[in-house]
Amino acid sequence: MSSIQWPFPSPGRFLGFVRTRAITRVRRWARNRQGTDSATTRLRPGRVYILPTGVGIVFAIMAFAMLLGSMNYNNNLSFVLTFLLTGIGFVSMHQCQRNLVGLDLTYAGTEPVFAGQTIRFGIAVTNHSKSARYGIRVYHEDTQSDIQDLQPGESKIFVLAVSTEQRGRISLERFGIRTLFPFELFRSWAWLHMDIGGVVYPRPAEHAPEPPATMMAHGHRQHDARGEEDFAGLRKYQHGDSPRHVAWKAFARSGQLLSKQFAGADTSSQWFDFDHIPTDDVEQRLSILTRWIIDADRTGEDYGLRLPGVEYEPAHGEAHRRACLEKLAMFRSGSR
Amino acid sequence: MARPRGTDGSLLSSLPWAIGALAISIAPHLPYLPVWIIVAFGGCSLWRYLVEKRRRALPSVWFRALLALACFFGVLMTYHTISGVGPGSALLAIMASLKLLETRKRRDQFVLLFIAIFLVMSSILREQYLWSLPYMIISVLVIMTAWLRLSATAKETARQSAATGGRLLLYTAPLAIAMWIFFPRLATPFWAVPMDTGTATSGISDAMSPGDISKLSMSNAVAFRVKFDDEIPAPRDRYWRGLVLTVFNGRTWSMNDPYEGPRVHEKVSGQGDPIGYQITLEPTRQQWVFALDMPWSWTLESTFMGPQHQLARAQPVDQRIAYDAVSYLEYKTNVDLTEYARSWYQRIPKTSDPRTQALAQQMRGAAGSDKSYIEAVLHKFNNEEYFYTLEPPPLGNNPTDRFLFDTRRGFCEHYASAFAVMMRAAGIPARIVLGYHGGEVNPMGGHLIVRQSDAHAWNEIWLEGHGWYRIDPTAAVAPDRIEYGASDATLDGLAAAWGFSATSALMLRLSLTFDAINAKWNDWILAYGPDKQNKFMQWLGMDNPDWQKMMLTMIGLLVILIAVISLLLAMRYRAPAKDRAAILYRHFTRKIGLQPEVGETAERFAQRAAKSSSVPPAAIDSVTAAYLDARYGPNDGSALAHLKNAVHAIA
Repeated sequence: MSSIQWPFPSPGRFLGFVRTRAITRVRRWARNRQGTDSATTRLRPGRVYILPTGVGIVFAIMAFAMLLGSMNYNNNLSFVLTFLLTGIGFVSMHQCQRNLVGLDLTYAGTEPVFAGQTIRFGIAVTNHSKSARYGIRVYHEDTQSDIQDLQPGESKIFVLAVSTEQRGRISLERFGIRTLFPFELFRSWAWLHMDIGGVVYPRPAEHAPEPPATMMAHGHRQHDARGEEDFAGLRKYQHGDSPRHVAWKAFARSGQLLSKQFAGADTSSQWFDFDHIPTDDVEQRLSILTRWIIDADRTGEDYGLRLPGVEYEPAHGEAHRRACLEKLAMFRSGSR
Repeated sequence: MARPRGTDGSLLSSLPWAIGALAISIAPHLPYLPVWIIVAFGGCSLWRYLVEKRRRALPSVWFRALLALACFFGVLMTYHTISGVGPGSALLAIMASLKLLETRKRRDQFVLLFIAIFLVMSSILREQYLWSLPYMIISVLVIMTAWLRLSATAKETARQSAATGGRLLLYTAPLAIAMWIFFPRLATPFWAVPMDTGTATSGISDAMSPGDISKLSMSNAVAFRVKFDDEIPAPRDRYWRGLVLTVFNGRTWSMNDPYEGPRVHEKVSGQGDPIGYQITLEPTRQQWVFALDMPWSWTLESTFMGPQHQLARAQPVDQRIAYDAVSYLEYKTNVDLTEYARSWYQRIPKTSDPRTQALAQQMRGAAGSDKSYIEAVLHKFNNEEYFYTLEPPPLGNNPTDRFLFDTRRGFCEHYASAFAVMMRAAGIPARIVLGYHGGEVNPMGGHLIVRQSDAHAWNEIWLEGHGWYRIDPTAAVAPDRIEYGASDATLDGLAAAWGFSATSALMLRLSLTFDAINAKWNDWILAYGPDKQNKFMQWLGMDNPDWQKMMLTMIGLLVILIAVISLLLAMRYRAPAKDRAAILYRHFTRKIGLQPEVGETAERFAQRAAKSSSVPPAAIDSVTAAYLDARYGPNDGSALAHLKNAVHAIA
């Protein structure tokens, strides 16, 4: 009879489809009316949404049944009980929304991670009001933070741990804050659209070839092959010095950490070159480079990174490592 | 299917509260619950608590299923049914106990609290005393605190939860009161209510067998309270008419079948001043409605007067009801009686009580007239050795003979029955009226308390040319009973009801005061039905109140109240206006033409700004320092002034 195929095999699928469509619509609507949020955002009443929970619906059905019972028995005390519970429903609705209104949310930063690890975004929530806020939780898609209370004037960091798969920039387009306080009869929540992003480094290769030994590079001085043997003296240990260079005997004597200094080069240095890795797969190359950088950083050796179009002079330390890994994370084969 | 059964102690902060909430809601049921259920609940609670505390495993599914089955049959064996308030609350208590044993997750406890609410509800359906309301409010508070404990973080103390629960309940109170006053009350229930409340029916039975019961129970329970518009009538006039017994089978007096018996309504005309009053009748589960003899008019829906002036309601009195009535103390009924009715009221079994029948015929013959015969019988009761006692000996066969000639001891039923038999044996139409007589005045409340112990039986006889005429033969035996009331010392009875002896006048005062409060409580709270609501609405100025008007008023009031509560909450949770420091800092960032990035601290921003802005770094540093000081330093205003100067210094 009908030539149009009903595309849903079961009513459940249909309802699921309707639900997803509705949620997408509502989210888009909220996004449009709220706009992008600034670094610190205060939750205004107009953007804190509320709906009853499953427990709330059961509670409402129970109250209605009790109302019927009271009417039938014409029992004035059970009317009191029924109306008390109904009133609790009304009050908890307002209480639930007010539990969020007026909170200040600030993005509290993140740390880069390697692909496959979970990246943790910190959201600082501050309660400037004079009343405590209970049972607050920050969430994003399926992940959610711990539940915390906020005493008056208190500020706490809520951590969103998001699992990562691919390198690159991961951005938190939208996250939410919600509460079920006081009785879990209602869930109120707010969506925030802050400019939040983190960097995901490539996944370090598990079986990387040996990094190239001290390599010659065009226009760069060749390192003294015997460099490490020429002991020149001791200086105070600095962050980033290789543990191999620590004067352990001196440490045992004086309790002071000293680094051995060598003539010829401060440390050995090497070049990691994208184009000189024996594999064709770009991601594989990036993974290998990542592994090399991690290892080199751990030993405190200087290393330089050469990518198509970019070069980082050999160096060591946290900032250098960060810069190199970030470059790898953002690497686009098209930029070649 | 098989859920993990281990516990990890995570419910330790909420479980004791859930158990406490259940305990407080089960407590009012204790007198009605069989002991094994109480033991089961206590045992399961303790068991579940110890399991949580010692992080043991919960009992297995099979064990719980067997236990559930055993308990269900236990209830069935105890009550023989599972419907009604009694078995219903027993089942709820059992469900709570069993649910405790499978409560593993936080959310399982919601079920426990829902059960607790239903237990509170059923205890209220069972009985409504003066203390029921405060007890219910405390129960709700405990349940709500337990509810808050379910989702409370580890740091939140129970005291904080209770304070929050109390605060929310306080907000709720005006809403509940508004709904309670304005929610329209129904005159008739939707469906017939099975009124098994587990308590025995107290009140007047619709049949009377003198001699079967050898001890009259002196229940001090209140039958009804009466508030008179004017003066309270004298004790001897306080006859509260109930039902009328017209059939005697030699042993038992009972009512006539409404389709048999005399069905012609007897006319009545009042004399003297009408007396107006209001009665608050305790539930009797019977149809009878009591009023001062002789009732003239009454304000109670679906209540009718029977042919013998007995008031009856279409539905049994399941709830406390209040009604206004008007009566005449002096009245005259119609003078003519149909032949059928006359023979009906003269009928006694021919063969029973031969000695009584012989005596009646002999005395009637000697008296000459009906009037003097009646006087002779009353005189006999008065002058011969007849005694008024509440513990008469049992009578056996031919009870009237045994009573009149042998035992000579009895209370109102014996005298009323014997008198009626004597009348009928002599051909005088007679019947028995059951009701109450007397009642004591509570000086505190200015009302009259009529108790079950005031239950009374008296006679009406029909005299040619006069109509029905009330005669109370008990008065001939024990005039005090009629002059002063049932209990020779009402004080004794009253005080004994509360467990003290009446030696102390203070105790009497206390119990009278308590009764006065109780009367007001019944009057205003429990008996707030369609009539009272209607009156109250009119008093508030609503003309022609109907349910639509009340509903609209209620909704309007709720909207206003909720708006007020919302405003209160908003004030409570108001964040202070964005602080001055932040505003000044915003001025500063605008002046130098840069925006702090998400997550960038003021110090970092200062470093960045120093590099890329034309503003001298010293100025940026001084603003940053002043800003941090104003924001996080001691709050004395001087830092704010510094910040203000520093920001204004930048061109």
